[in-house]
Amino acid sequence: MAQDEKDPVATWPARENLKVLNHDLVRVDARAKVTGAARYTHDVRVPGMAYARLLLAPLPALKIKKLDLAPALKIPGVLGAVALETDRTRWLGEPIAAVAATTPERAEDGLRAILLEYEREPWAIDEAQATAPNAPKVRSNAPKVSTDGDQASAERACEGAAAVIEATYTVPVQHHVCLETHGVVVDYKGGDEATVWCSTQSTFGFTPDAAKELGLKASRVTGLVEYMGGGFGAKFGLGLEGQAACKLSKEIKRPVHLMMTRRDEFLAAGNRTGGKMRIKLAASQDGTLVGMVADRRRFGGIGNGSMAKFPYIYAVENAYSETLSVPMNLDSNRAMRAPGHPQAGFGMESALDELAYKLGVDPLEMRKRNLKDKVYHRQLERVAREIGWYEHPHRDKPGDPKAEKCIGIGFGVAVWGGGGGGGTECEVRIERDGSVSAAVGTQDLGTGSRTYVAAITAEELGLRLEDVTAHIGSTRLPSATGSGGSTTTGSLAPAVKVAAFNAARAFAARLAPVFGVDAARVQFAGGEVRDTQGAKPALSWKQACAMLPAEGLSARGEWTKDANKRLAASGIHGAQAARVEVDTQTGRVRVLDMIAMQDCGLPLNRLAVVSQVNGGMVQALSYALHEERNVDAALGVMLNSTMEGYKIAGSLEMPRMVTIIDDEDERGVIGVAEATCIPGHSAIANAVFNACGARVRDLPLTPDKVLFALGKVV
Amino acid sequence: MKAFILSNPKSVKDALQLLAVARDSKQAKAIQPLAGGQDLLTEMKEHLAEPDRLVNLKGIAELDYLRNLDGKVQIGALATLARMEKNNLLNEHARVLFEAAHSIASPQIRSVGTIGGNLNQRPRCLYYRLEEANCLKKGGKECFAYSGMNRYNAILGGGPSYIVHPSDLAPALIALDATVFIAGRTGPREMPLESYYKLPSVGDVRTETVREPDELLLSVSFQLPAPGTRSTYLKFKERESYDFALASVALVLGFDGDVIRHARLVLGGVAPVPWRVRAAEAALVGQKADTQTAEKAAELALAGAVPLSGNAFKIPLTKSLIVRAIRSLA
Repeated sequence: MAQDEKDPVATWPARENLKVLNHDLVRVDARAKVTGAARYTHDVRVPGMAYARLLLAPLPALKIKKLDLAPALKIPGVLGAVALETDRTRWLGEPIAAVAATTPERAEDGLRAILLEYEREPWAIDEAQATAPNAPKVRSNAPKVSTDGDQASAERACEGAAAVIEATYTVPVQHHVCLETHGVVVDYKGGDEATVWCSTQSTFGFTPDAAKELGLKASRVTGLVEYMGGGFGAKFGLGLEGQAACKLSKEIKRPVHLMMTRRDEFLAAGNRTGGKMRIKLAASQDGTLVGMVADRRRFGGIGNGSMAKFPYIYAVENAYSETLSVPMNLDSNRAMRAPGHPQAGFGMESALDELAYKLGVDPLEMRKRNLKDKVYHRQLERVAREIGWYEHPHRDKPGDPKAEKCIGIGFGVAVWGGGGGGGTECEVRIERDGSVSAAVGTQDLGTGSRTYVAAITAEELGLRLEDVTAHIGSTRLPSATGSGGSTTTGSLAPAVKVAAFNAARAFAARLAPVFGVDAARVQFAGGEVRDTQGAKPALSWKQACAMLPAEGLSARGEWTKDANKRLAASGIHGAQAARVEVDTQTGRVRVLDMIAMQDCGLPLNRLAVVSQVNGGMVQALSYALHEERNVDAALGVMLNSTMEGYKIAGSLEMPRMVTIIDDEDERGVIGVAEATCIPGHSAIANAVFNACGARVRDLPLTPDKVLFALGKVV
Repeated sequence: MKAFILSNPKSVKDALQLLAVARDSKQAKAIQPLAGGQDLLTEMKEHLAEPDRLVNLKGIAELDYLRNLDGKVQIGALATLARMEKNNLLNEHARVLFEAAHSIASPQIRSVGTIGGNLNQRPRCLYYRLEEANCLKKGGKECFAYSGMNRYNAILGGGPSYIVHPSDLAPALIALDATVFIAGRTGPREMPLESYYKLPSVGDVRTETVREPDELLLSVSFQLPAPGTRSTYLKFKERESYDFALASVALVLGFDGDVIRHARLVLGGVAPVPWRVRAAEAALVGQKADTQTAEKAAELALAGAVPLSGNAFKIPLTKSLIVRAIRSLA
């Protein structure tokens, strides 16, 4: 290492010099996933394993009079049962007991044999019940109204404005619908050690609790998350289901496989907050937003719910909002991809859009006028151009609903913080045979983290992606933070980069004498090692590695504030446009095109970024057109806890999707997941209005609501 | 699901012998015939059906056919939906049935689902399908959809139950004047498919057909429509990918030049039975398939509709589909 120079530090090369990163990389585990070779928690089978099922509260509020597990134990094949709640249940689907058996079917039979006697207690599972004068007290700590801004000045600003709209917008409860349901496999047979597989978005987040449940030291419990089938925010920690599995395993001294059923998943695995927003929004003649008064309700079940603050993204001179959680005897909301943002976005984008048409101002121009950050301007203009807005025949008024099929275009924007934080460490190993691995305990939710752990290392060492193996998803590997809030990339990438950089420097120092030069002159590129200035022939990577001792070489790197400053950033935007066809006779909304432009700093894997953005658009489209939880408040049941009743968009609903990565963003890496699902549904709803003048203020935009908005339902 | 015994008869005669125990009304639910299983097995998993014995019909080769006997199409109960949607004869001469078969569920389900199962499937009402809701259809006292969530329920022929019949094949076959052949307690009997279905106000509210528990639907047949006949099945789903009909229209029109000489109009997804509208059919005969005629027929077809709190949209929706179907055959 050069003593007379300032110590070099890890930085990203100029983008044009990148050989692996910022390219389209097919994810390293694609084949394993497509062929089924990838082993998810659901697929884990260990010798002697029992299968477990959960007994969930059949009604929203119960006083348990009797819970007798003995009849379950008499069912052939049942190995054990545990009680989870013996007094009262406060929400529909709250786990009461769990049964383990030799097969999932026998466990199910065991559940049905359990004797449960209860008294119904008053419940509230919809807004009407929860806000009735005699509404039951759902929680002991009643939520209070929170306020933002000054009410008097906001009201005044609205009064004097050129145009005002006042309307109520509602969003349904949406479910995560992860392909793999929640669950764990606890490999414990007694003794003082255990291994626990968990479908989670935080490898290191569940083992301490599992150890506690099993009565073991955390250091004797290994957590594994080699592959997992989606989380979207719902899969942090051991969870009630994981606790139940540990209890059962401890009880029967056998490994236990407990994956929630799809129905369990709908009832007891979290959801996106539903809500209602009464909005008064005012603008001056030129479309500048001058006043906003909003009254908001969050429906987060037994939880608080979440809804991003108003005014959302757009600047409003005088804004005031009141927000109140309305607790209900239903499963709590959990984080779900951009928690609180798609809801707030729908209210804000719809109200702004209504105001634009009322003023006769082009809704695209109206948006730009109220967005101070110029990044939004370039992104909106680009998606507008791509979707054909500037040639669109009716931009400041809707199309004629007398036509059988109407075409419309709408817009929406996004915001997200992201960024990274401490707690992630990576080890890069170079073996004497030339193979390389990068090890970090992080998880891959399907975002492609496994691939970029290998890609960053390959880039640094001048290798190809396939030359590096990424080891992830185990608590036996160096620590990593959980995946939430689009922070994985900002936390993980710098740690990997620094580790690879340190490995390269250490290797260079060892090879410097071979070339007879300073380590700083030793370069790794194109699968070779060479002196950047000398005439000596290059060594192939394998030749160079053969000079290593038997134990090879390893180096570590961790996330630091300093590395973060050089390698990562935070704060992204995003604009999306949707083009729809509305069938005015049937109310069918067909989304024809969706265009997204998204900034994300340095794209580690362009293909994965595009895939993320496409996924965000699909999730928003499904939220726009189909998804909603239906309950019958009188009966106290969820009506559509199946994949038939809870509709998600399928292949025939898919539009043409175009994702444009905003390459003008020259910053370091930034996670991109959340922002991508914020604007889509608003753009679709606005496009429906632009098409035919049907303003649907209540998601999803099902045919009944569109026909009603068109005045066709008498 | 509850444990059951699986019997595998090789002939219709043996199957009927097994089913004969269902003549005892106490045993009526204890034994059930199984074909493709796409509905029954899900009902069993949800504990909506808990038979002690299943009579597996899949091994009965004599029930698996689709043939044309001198212009009479005969379809055995075990013919799969996939077979129908790939059949050239139906494609060319009975589009209504061809299109209906293709519109059902997913390719996976169509590859195992049978015509017999499709015609005998149980309602999809969200309350009916939820074990906890002991509704009228399951022996309870109330149709919860009436006062609850009823976006998908009946606007015609409802009461005391407001289910809609979910079959796509049934409206199409009724529009083709199909008959069904049933065997069981009273020996073989043949009847128009239209008469096979019954409203909830008639007889036992828990059943949708006149088939007795010990009977089997063996086949369906219809005369190939006369030359000059055109037909179509127009199905509107809330979600295009895999869904049941919010409303559907099975239409068969026989033309003499451009004048309608024969008309059959049967609606799906709007009533507890496939809903044939004779008044609309009569209004079509002697007319051209123009917009004015189509709109008049649509009005007549929905004249008696009584919507529930959340499904009035089905009226304009169904009218539009009728107009479209008629215009598409002009």
